[in-house]
Amino acid sequence: MGASKGQKLSGMQKQVLSLYRGFLRAARSKPAEERRQIESVVSAEFHRNSKQVDRKNFLYIEYLLRRGKKQLDQLKSPDTIGLSSVNVGSSKKQNADT
Amino acid sequence: MALRAAVLRHIRLPVQTLAATGSRPQPQLSFLRLFSSHDDHLTKEEVIDRVLDVVKSFPKVEPSQVTPDVHFQKDLGLDSLDNVEIVMALEEEFKLEIPDKEADKIDSCNLAIEYIYNHPMAG
Repeated sequence: MGASKGQKLSGMQKQVLSLYRGFLRAARSKPAEERRQIESVVSAEFHRNSKQVDRKNFLYIEYLLRRGKKQLDQLKSPDTIGLSSVNVGSSKKQNADT
Repeated sequence: MALRAAVLRHIRLPVQTLAATGSRPQPQLSFLRLFSSHDDHLTKEEVIDRVLDVVKSFPKVEPSQVTPDVHFQKDLGLDSLDNVEIVMALEEEFKLEIPDKEADKIDSCNLAIEYIYNHPMAG
């Protein structure tokens, strides 16, 4: 999705950055060790996608955004401490029954 | 630290003149009070120092390249995701919450310094 080099941000890029910010904010509310772990996984995942996903592949990026938002909602729950809910693959998780 | 040192230096000065002259304590005191009501706001120098420290401590940044004029992405080789991380680190350093709309614009040390220096809640 193209980590940009300083030119004007597109609407979609803003959404991605906003989601990223949301994850980092959510991580702040977790205990220190979990926070570090969440930050490193989230950072790696966003950077990986920014390099691998074609910046014109809007459908896929929109899908990733939707998936990310769901995962972020789960992460925000005070019951979620770990990363299993943030993990790649599936967005079903861990504290689905809370 | 620098701020505390600066404040102590300033406070001591009027107290010495007060002891030397002896008379007219009133104006001296009100001057002091005025002065102290201002000193919980950050000085520009302190903002600059702390912003540069935060940027230098970012893992992907070569500390020797960091000056108040650097652009995060053009000069330091960072991407927009790193940019978000730096702005978030600045939020924590200065105990601020920067709205997305503002945060998206902060892409250089200079803009960060200006934003924080002009923010009434920066601490």
